[in-house]
Amino acid sequence: MSSPVLRVRGLGARVPSAVLLDGVDLDLEPGRVLAVVGDSGAGKSTLAAALLGEAAAGVELCGEVTVAGTDLGPTDPEPVRRARRAGRIGLLPQHPGTALDPVRRVGRVLDELAALVHTGRDERRAAVDSALRTAGLGPEHARRFPHQLSGGQQQRAALALTLVTGPSVLVLDEPTTGLDPLTTAGVVANLAGLAAHGTAMVLLTHDLDTARALADDALVLERGRVVRRGPADDVLGPAPGPAPDPAPGDDRTPRLVATGLRVVTSAGTAILDGVDVRAAAGDVHAVIGPSGAGKTTLARALAGLVTPGAGTVVVDGVGLPPALDRRSAARRKAVQYVHQDARSSFLARRPVLEQVARPGVLLRGLPPGRARGEGSELLERLGVDAGTAARRPSGLSGGQLQRAALARAMLADPAVLVGDEVTSALDAGHRRELLAALDALRRDRGTTLVLISHDLSLVGSVADEVTVLGGGRVADHGRAGQVLGRLRAATAGPPVAATGRAPSA
Amino acid sequence: MLAAPRRGTRAAGARVLVALAQFAAVSVIVFAMTSLLPGDAAEIVLGRDATPEQVATLRTQLGLDRPLPERFADWVGGLLHGDLGRSLVTGQPVAAEVGGRLGQTALLTGLALIMLVPLALGAGVLAGRRPGSPVDRALTGVLVAAQAVPEFALGLVLVAVFSLQLGWLPATAAGGAFTGAEVLVLPVVVLVTNHLGRLARQIRVGVLDTDRAEHVVHLRRLGLPERVVLWRHVLPGAALPSIQQLARIVDSMLGGVVVVEALFALPGVGSGFVDAVSARDLPVVQGYALLYAATTIGVNLVADLVSARLLPHREVLG
Amino acid sequence: MSAATVGARARRARPGAGVAIGLVLVAVPLLSALLGPFLVGPLGLVAPTGTDALLPPGSGFVLGTDALGRDVLGLALTGGTTVVGLTLGALACAYAVGMPLGLVLAATGRRGLEGLALRALDVLLVLPSLLVLLVLAATGRRGIGWLVLAVALVQLPSVVRLVRSAAAAPTQRPALEAMTMSGEPWWRVHLLESGRAVLGPVLVDAGTRAVLVLSLLASANFLGVGLAPDSTDWAVVIEQNTSSLFLAPASLLVPASLLVALCAGINLLVDRRLDRDGGAL
Repeated sequence: MSSPVLRVRGLGARVPSAVLLDGVDLDLEPGRVLAVVGDSGAGKSTLAAALLGEAAAGVELCGEVTVAGTDLGPTDPEPVRRARRAGRIGLLPQHPGTALDPVRRVGRVLDELAALVHTGRDERRAAVDSALRTAGLGPEHARRFPHQLSGGQQQRAALALTLVTGPSVLVLDEPTTGLDPLTTAGVVANLAGLAAHGTAMVLLTHDLDTARALADDALVLERGRVVRRGPADDVLGPAPGPAPDPAPGDDRTPRLVATGLRVVTSAGTAILDGVDVRAAAGDVHAVIGPSGAGKTTLARALAGLVTPGAGTVVVDGVGLPPALDRRSAARRKAVQYVHQDARSSFLARRPVLEQVARPGVLLRGLPPGRARGEGSELLERLGVDAGTAARRPSGLSGGQLQRAALARAMLADPAVLVGDEVTSALDAGHRRELLAALDALRRDRGTTLVLISHDLSLVGSVADEVTVLGGGRVADHGRAGQVLGRLRAATAGPPVAATGRAPSA
Repeated sequence: MLAAPRRGTRAAGARVLVALAQFAAVSVIVFAMTSLLPGDAAEIVLGRDATPEQVATLRTQLGLDRPLPERFADWVGGLLHGDLGRSLVTGQPVAAEVGGRLGQTALLTGLALIMLVPLALGAGVLAGRRPGSPVDRALTGVLVAAQAVPEFALGLVLVAVFSLQLGWLPATAAGGAFTGAEVLVLPVVVLVTNHLGRLARQIRVGVLDTDRAEHVVHLRRLGLPERVVLWRHVLPGAALPSIQQLARIVDSMLGGVVVVEALFALPGVGSGFVDAVSARDLPVVQGYALLYAATTIGVNLVADLVSARLLPHREVLG
Repeated sequence: MSAATVGARARRARPGAGVAIGLVLVAVPLLSALLGPFLVGPLGLVAPTGTDALLPPGSGFVLGTDALGRDVLGLALTGGTTVVGLTLGALACAYAVGMPLGLVLAATGRRGLEGLALRALDVLLVLPSLLVLLVLAATGRRGIGWLVLAVALVQLPSVVRLVRSAAAAPTQRPALEAMTMSGEPWWRVHLLESGRAVLGPVLVDAGTRAVLVLSLLASANFLGVGLAPDSTDWAVVIEQNTSSLFLAPASLLVPASLLVALCAGINLLVDRRLDRDGGAL
């Protein structure tokens, strides 16, 4: 066993009122990957920052962090710690796009960082080239500004920034967040290669698949404490098998037919191109894909919130005008859209219930009193009581507003309900209630549900059909079980094979 | 990725066309304002006491006896050749009349800008790096209070203090000739004071935002020394967006120059403009108006093009 | 110590001094502009015709007389009404036209139309304000009507742009979209709700703009291209007394100081407001 390159003793973080991180000890040998898993709020991000000797405002750190024999000293003054970090420990932040300076070329910044450990011009250039190559970029990318890189390339550029100083320890904060399965596979293979070359890594993630693919050891963090640790296989458990295929559905007449939808930005790039969606009455149609694939744009085009440059949306055999403003009350009723950010979709000054009831009055012609009654009954069923619903939006939690937004759309009694990540702010209990309400809606009213989601387990449990978007086009489409099966096969295979798990131990 | 520069070039071309269209539109407006007068232009120019013969002579001289479209065509033709007619007062060609005063004003504005930019950068960075500190509060308080105060009022107060009370500086350049550099001190101070606040404040906000921006935090995390972070990342990120603000400032400074030159009796474009207005010397007024409009359009064009080049992600021209 | 906590602490400590200074600076000239004309008669601050010019302070007149033999204190008290009134009038006109126009432009789905309208307004934007007033004066168009109209027109493009971008701000969009989805009529979504949402930014903008307009109008009056010479506007009085700076400094410095105080005060107050809102510009 080689000596540990990262040695952490009693690392803690506290605010006056609470302990965020409680005496964490770590030892990591060169080339080993340690996965740190845990729920949000377990202290993963605090740990990532603390490893670099950083803390959010008002947080006090204690303990010691040693990299390759050098004490990073979380308690020393900042400039001292900063100089010690260079070339020893690096961090790949969660959203790599924001880690790149928008007004500087990637290569220039790499050169500045290379100067921390190399003095000669040629050595710096060699370090930059090698960092780019290792991160999976070519020398031509050095001349680009960040906005000229794709999402995946930005991720690699951020990795190159971290690698150019040749750190012995790499801290990875949710490196696969928001990436599509293919890009994720690429990132995982890349990181596995780095580990094989001797870089030790601390991987903080809630993505267990990535953790299984990369990690040698794992520890579970809960409320700032290490509650379990051991070999990755034991701690993380085996990968779940593919979900069973549901029985194939019948061929009912479709309720929603969208054909050839195309949306082009003012700059001329197509964010949606030739997308078709067909869904039968009472069906749940899930739309999945990496961020930036055009999921939300598709949902908004169906609702008329973005005007497609081409394509049609037909509901129950009637074509809808492309722009919502030009849709009559009956046509607005046909498709209802629930925003991802529920809070901003409510007016701040008016009681929530009043806003929830409006579609009942305006689109279905109910008397206001009855619409409110229906609204509060529906909210009750979703777990938002009448007293809460009478408040203004500021008096409700994000999860409550998410349910209220859904209730508002349901009150229009739409033919098609489009939900954009409608369960993202909900805990398990409320999520069940919401899914039950949606299920009742589609069974009783024959409402077609179009759900945009990141959450593959949700999609697996509720969707009848799935459309996978990639780069604004339909990448895959079919019955839910088949599509998800194909997806798993595409992502799970190569990275595991590429890691060559358990190097020298 | 080849599409990006090509799109940039096309956007720049479109921006130049917009500027040309703006100049054409402004020319038409200037011509309309000076030609479509309520009543007879010659009478307005000469005043109520003029004899009918004088009015008739001036009408011929101004070409007012010819139909409007013909006059407009002539005027545009002359404009394209740089011929704007002759002054009604001195009989000199307008171009010469206006051009002769350009140097003085260029000197005044140039000096003001040379002082303004480093001062604003310094003040903005100083205040933005330590928000809420006494330095920040004093700087922004004083600068904010001083911004956009009418130049003549500010100038008078300064003259009262530095010329009247202390006797350090000359009050005016009365007599028309530059007697020395000290004549320009107060005018430049007035112009700078007026605009320093706005620019410094924008740079301060830029520094504040950039200083906390994720990419700057990340570079510190990776060990980049503060000197490099400040000069190569915080400063460009904070200052580059101010280029367009600087164009606005040059615009309003050109307005300020009119007042300052009148107040301190400096023989530049601004005081020439005012003299032409009080003398009702319409051809010369047209000349000054076009010069001002062209400068404004040009400055904004340059600022937009430069910003588009240096801030490619902002889609400035989009 | 992070920037965030420093900022928070600063914000808590700040309001006092700046706001107090701002209020005092604004109150003195504003009160004199509003109440001055009613005080001049009762206090006997109108010098009878034939009073000697350039009398020193104290010689029967608290601040002396100016180059035309008028009571300087009386002039100071009456001179603010015109410039403050003109400023308010011009701003009212600019916002009365600019608000609806900006809201409609923000709401229209037609990019081409929007672009065209903005480009057309931009032609006005490139006209330096003072230039418009100078050309108007050169061609004999003078008086309150022309001044208000010209100043309002020159401000219009930036007002429209501000309202449009505030109304189209991403934070507003989902709520307005949800309203439309609920079947609310167009005017209620895009004029009422949008209008209410932009009110905050518009008020702050009006403060900044008031200083610009005030300064512009005062400069025009000083250059003799604004109000007629028989007005007692501060800037007109200053212009009439420029040559007596050494003989009767009060006749220039009192109105000049009032103008400076008014502009500086408004600037300070608007700035504190921006600070509190966390708004940048």
